[in-house]
Amino acid sequence: MEKEGLGLEITELRLGLPGRDVAEKMMKKRAFTEMIMTSSGSNSDQCESGVVSSGGDVEKVNDSPAAKSQVVGWPPVCSYRRKNSCKDASTTKVGLGYVKVSMDGVPYLRKMDLGSSQGYDDLAFALDKLFGIRGIGVALKDGDNCEYVTIYEDKDGDWMLAGDVPWGMFIESCKRLRIMKRSDATGFGLQPRGVDE
Amino acid sequence: MNYFPDEVVEHVFDFVTSHKDRNAISLVCKSWYKIERYSRQKVFIGNCYATNPERLLRRFPCLKSLTLKGKPHFADFNLVPHEWGGFVLPWIEALARSRVGLEELRLKRMVVTDESLELLSRSFVNFKSLVLVSCEGFTTDGLASIAANCRHLRDLDLQENEIDDHRGQWLSCFPDTCTTLVTLNFACLEGETNLVALERLVARSPNLKSLKLNRAVPLDALARLMSCAPQMVDLGVGSYENDPESESYLKLQAAIKKCTSLRSLSGFLEAAPHCLSAFHPICHNLTSLNLSYAAEIHGSHLIKLIQHCKKLQRLWILDSIGDKGLEVVASTCKELQELRVFPSDLLGGGNTAVTEEGLVAISGGCPKLHSILYFCQQMTNAALVTVAKNCPNFIRFRLCILEPNKPDHVTSQPLDEGFGAIVKACKSLRRLSLSGLLTDQVFLYIGMYANQLEMLSIAFAGDTDKGMLYVLNGCKKMKKLEIRDSPFGDTALLADVSKYETMRSLWMSSCEVTLSGCKRLAEKAPWLNVEIINETDNNRMEENGHEGRQKVDKLYLYRTVVGTRMDAPPFVWIL
Repeated sequence: MEKEGLGLEITELRLGLPGRDVAEKMMKKRAFTEMIMTSSGSNSDQCESGVVSSGGDVEKVNDSPAAKSQVVGWPPVCSYRRKNSCKDASTTKVGLGYVKVSMDGVPYLRKMDLGSSQGYDDLAFALDKLFGIRGIGVALKDGDNCEYVTIYEDKDGDWMLAGDVPWGMFIESCKRLRIMKRSDATGFGLQPRGVDE
Repeated sequence: MNYFPDEVVEHVFDFVTSHKDRNAISLVCKSWYKIERYSRQKVFIGNCYATNPERLLRRFPCLKSLTLKGKPHFADFNLVPHEWGGFVLPWIEALARSRVGLEELRLKRMVVTDESLELLSRSFVNFKSLVLVSCEGFTTDGLASIAANCRHLRDLDLQENEIDDHRGQWLSCFPDTCTTLVTLNFACLEGETNLVALERLVARSPNLKSLKLNRAVPLDALARLMSCAPQMVDLGVGSYENDPESESYLKLQAAIKKCTSLRSLSGFLEAAPHCLSAFHPICHNLTSLNLSYAAEIHGSHLIKLIQHCKKLQRLWILDSIGDKGLEVVASTCKELQELRVFPSDLLGGGNTAVTEEGLVAISGGCPKLHSILYFCQQMTNAALVTVAKNCPNFIRFRLCILEPNKPDHVTSQPLDEGFGAIVKACKSLRRLSLSGLLTDQVFLYIGMYANQLEMLSIAFAGDTDKGMLYVLNGCKKMKKLEIRDSPFGDTALLADVSKYETMRSLWMSSCEVTLSGCKRLAEKAPWLNVEIINETDNNRMEENGHEGRQKVDKLYLYRTVVGTRMDAPPFVWIL
């Protein structure tokens, strides 16, 4: 009793385009590029489990670096090592988001866990507590009235003004924080938030 | 030997320590079997499901040291679901009940719970040594019981485990009377560390030779620790960030100079590269250096450090060292025996800086090299042929070209000839991992030449069942064969069922084996556990009318003397 495609093939864990049957044998030897499923998932997902994100369209690969390593368990690096090397890629795991915080005029740095803050307000409060100086946090909210400016170094190594991007995006890209004196930043046209050009 | 009393024979056996040799002795005759089993103190079980605790204890009642391995190797790469198995608790319970005088327990890829650790700590008065490698399932609470209850603890060695860090005070659970520590490795713990408790523990452990810290131990604490443990032989540095002008850095420099016994260095989980020079004074003594987690150290700092390490025998490094860096290693480290080069950019950014040139340089410069694990972007047959000529003494050769199916980048040919040259030249080769574009031909070579091969890892390779058959027929000493994403199917699987009795295990995932093939195998070989790991609903597999032709996603089979295991989760179907 031949049943044509009960569709159970879908449940099989395979690499390659869904629905293809004839070319299955070729699949194994098919150029790696076609095995990749591009994903819009975040880097940290890939880092942690190396799992292919399911569904979605398979596109012919561009040589995009992110696409290359999305096969389950490839390259064969043990998951412990994977997790620890991803720290280098600056993906901050929530809860392990310790970043260095420096403040102008203070001779030592501090470290704080970004993951323990829920948002910019929280961060503002935490920064105030860290240095025991009130008003740092205000810089995050209301650029105008504060003696300080909070900037952060992002994944690309650029120094950015804190507060522009959504919180989630911020904690993913923030590598370190610096609390700068506003006076050092004059002349750089720092506009209070909300002012139109 | 039959004219000697048993005690004399036993005394002779005391000099025979390797597991292989002891196993061989036990096969000579009944009398030797009996003497051997009563005198055996160390037992190694490569697959915890091949036997069970009762049989172990029946045969070796004087057991003192046990090594157990659980999950298959590919579990390291997330190919085995977490709940698959490998639980240590039943073993510890049985050992505890039997009152055997357990002193050492070494576990790899097993599930260890706090309950097991607590039971372990309370059941064996002379317990001395706990080594956990790639295990999971426990927390720092379990460590606290070990610390508190094991009065004569010598080794607590935690390597690459997933430990739930409750940020508790496990370090302060070591009683003040505990002064016997020789090894303390907690590098894999993620949380805060009680520095005061740690320092006091180290200060009262005059025999401490190996100390590996986690990233929560900052540089100033490191300086203090090293000052009170100048006898240190093996050091894992935690966080290594500081200002080279600071007082703690100066203290560290002074402390390091006194550690004249230091032979092995690792860690640098967070590192300020310009502070590495503090270690230069002792580099000439180092035999082992593991910088594979030190992502922030590269370029000139790395090279400068290595240039001081003329006696290095073991080097684990990231590929950010580059081909040029490997050339420096080749010209400096003439004693090098083992090299591992790990990928620094797992997202495949294509920035990997090592190619076949680095490998060739190393093979040319390091005559004592016998083990290599090398992740690289590209390879050529010519390079592999050269490597084979330079280093015919390889015992372990593991090459991982990051892009699967990648051919020789110069000739666009498969890498069959290159790997063929390796197996032909390296007559002592015991472990081999393949990668790149490979046809059945490479397996023909492996079957023909790799006479000593015990472990073979295959991924995205081969064309037909012939490939796998060459290996199964040719490699008489094969113990562990693991295959993924390769077109081998039922014909190869079933060709010689008796072969699996001589092997520890076979893993095949995303290959062409079908359910009916596996069922036939299970029928022919009742002494095998044939496990189908299917993360989708197994029931659906059964209901399907032509289930026979259903391809099996993950197959894991292993010889066993105790039949089907009882602790398999629902997604594991044992045929």
